[in-house]
Amino acid sequence: MKKRRILATLMTAAMFATTLGGCGNSSGGTGASTNSNGNGGGSGSGKSDGVQEITWMFWDDLDATEDLISLGYKETIERFNKDYEGKYHVKPITTNLEEYYNKLNALVAAGDTPDVFIVSPGPQLTDYVEPGVAAPLDDYLNKDGWKDTFTSDAVFTQQTYDGKIYAVPLNTAAACCFYNTEMFEKAGAKVPTNWDEMITACDKLKAAGYTPITISAGTAWCLSMVAGYLCEAEGVELAKLADGSASWEDGKLESAATKLVDLSKYFQKTAAGDTNDVATANFYNEEAAILIQGSWVIGQINGSNPDFESKCGVFQFPGVDRIIAKSDSLCMSSTSKNPDGAAALIKYFTDDTAQKYTAEKGGKIPVTKVKYDEAAAPKQLSYVMDVFGKAKGTFGFYNESMPTTETGAHFDDTMVAVFLGDMKPAEAAKDMEDYYKANCRK
Amino acid sequence: MEKMLRNKKALLVFMLPAFLLFTLVLFIPIIQSVYYSLCEYKGMTKPVFIGFDNYKNLLHDKTFGIALKNSMFFLVFSCVSQLLVGLIYAAILTNIKKGRNLFKNIIYLPCVLSSAALGLLWLFIFGPKLGINQLLIKWGVEDPPLWLMSTKGTIPLPMWMIAFVSLWQFVGQSMMLYMAQISGISKSLMEASYIDGCTKPMTFRYITLPLIKPMVATAMSLNAIGSLKFFDLIWNMTTGGPNHKTEVLATHLYQQFKYFKYGYASAIGVVLLILCLLVTLFINKVVKTEQYEM
Repeated sequence: MKKRRILATLMTAAMFATTLGGCGNSSGGTGASTNSNGNGGGSGSGKSDGVQEITWMFWDDLDATEDLISLGYKETIERFNKDYEGKYHVKPITTNLEEYYNKLNALVAAGDTPDVFIVSPGPQLTDYVEPGVAAPLDDYLNKDGWKDTFTSDAVFTQQTYDGKIYAVPLNTAAACCFYNTEMFEKAGAKVPTNWDEMITACDKLKAAGYTPITISAGTAWCLSMVAGYLCEAEGVELAKLADGSASWEDGKLESAATKLVDLSKYFQKTAAGDTNDVATANFYNEEAAILIQGSWVIGQINGSNPDFESKCGVFQFPGVDRIIAKSDSLCMSSTSKNPDGAAALIKYFTDDTAQKYTAEKGGKIPVTKVKYDEAAAPKQLSYVMDVFGKAKGTFGFYNESMPTTETGAHFDDTMVAVFLGDMKPAEAAKDMEDYYKANCRK
Repeated sequence: MEKMLRNKKALLVFMLPAFLLFTLVLFIPIIQSVYYSLCEYKGMTKPVFIGFDNYKNLLHDKTFGIALKNSMFFLVFSCVSQLLVGLIYAAILTNIKKGRNLFKNIIYLPCVLSSAALGLLWLFIFGPKLGINQLLIKWGVEDPPLWLMSTKGTIPLPMWMIAFVSLWQFVGQSMMLYMAQISGISKSLMEASYIDGCTKPMTFRYITLPLIKPMVATAMSLNAIGSLKFFDLIWNMTTGGPNHKTEVLATHLYQQFKYFKYGYASAIGVVLLILCLLVTLFINKVVKTEQYEM
């Protein structure tokens, strides 16, 4: 009997090892195959026919997507492969957005960092710069006047560490309120310019039988983006919170969270579990009147329902002077075996053809001085440009402007907890303050 | 056979591949994981030894608490439900002649299908715009439940739905194990009980049940380990949401990779390992079995 128990216990351990083994690192973490940074032996590979392979990692499936920006990236890769036929060949590694960083980090930890990968500026980029995963790109940018093609050096602000540029922005997007003009008209709602008008507009839309706002709390950063705007309206200062000269419990976050709860009465019933894609589809399928989202969504809206473009208006989130802005940025692996090829690929994403596509089809703001046909660009882009022009400045996504990626995720989760009623606004403020004291302030 | 077993060289040759494979693929990674659980390890830089800090942090991690509670719920639900339903299926199917193989295959079929694909299938079935809710709306239910989105209650509705899907998927495995054991019981024992005046339920209670007890312990151990390290259905149906309400230990472990917290993830893995061992020992202790001549 005793032997059987021992055998059963051993079998249990063996079965479980398949799960636990996943936490291990095949290279032993710092074994012979690692470089001075502890990274793996490099990415990219030589092919027998002399063509060098360049891996490029992105957060959308290029073969299945309807997003016009993603399709533009696909075109750029095809153009690069054609122009460099016989020398380089790009192999895309794609996954959905929710899984992106899990997969990228697993590749990095396994010493198989893609040659080129997309990343959000802020603490997420810092995660790759500090341990030396991302390579500085100044030498390439300063060559052949590449850097001069950008609108200004300011576009590199979020990508610069100790005076070195570690990522190249591809486009800029602003977080705005997209609205269904037809629904607004039928409900007799006006475009709101302050908080009270926003609530009035939502009341009118609701009374007319429409779902006023579609949002995703299942994809936490979507809800957190709205919370970021509400915090901005209350005067929350992230830098002071990080250095300890301000407290989350000063009443500003509590007030912002209270407004979030008030606004949540106008969300679709399924907001708690809807993903970003589902919430966006609610808007372009005309099931809700307002979508608060980054302007990258223009490519998704127009790609999925081209007829909706004429009904889609844009207004700035009410009650704030500044606007949330963000850029997609490309990094190059410091262990790339084909750094010249990788840099050439990044350059293709910022050349005139790609940047014109960005504006004229994708509806995002180009980062270079390219002249694009404004008449050919989606109408929503001109509305976004108007909002941009009237804004008194920009600020980053809240979850990407905090000291670490995990702190940003904690803020997202806290705001979702407030929305779900698991936390009261005052508790959320205390929770954030406690988290900052324990993890962010020295 | 005995001659071969006396040949030590032959024994070594036969055992070496399995020994090497076990050591390289299982044993070394387990030891590594235990070591990493005592380190701050980001995967890109050298691990820094921090003692039991990762384990201490687990105590303050609210999501870990939710994940532990959900894993325990899953463990109890799976063990009890699969034991009962599996036994009922096995008892019925061993007593019917017509259609036995058909029903056996139908019940066992989900076991061999991909959990990822089944997760997506059930996601659509329980989705607010497809499946069950559309039927309910058609039948006049104005506000059908949000099966995978509700967040109320100690064990929220999505956890019950996932547990139900898991029962549907894996009950066939328990049923097959019990059927195999029941088939091994000698018919003469059954006949003797009938001669002594036993009804069919009495025969099941006094003959079948005691004789399949060893298999109950085995099936429960398999269920317990399977439910503790459960991942794929949950990941595909809710990704641990809304707001971590359906997180279990395995999904919480996986979420740490996003933040390069490989040391912390290893600590969760070690907790999982210890739980698996404890639960198996507990089951073996509680389900006391005796060997009978069948």
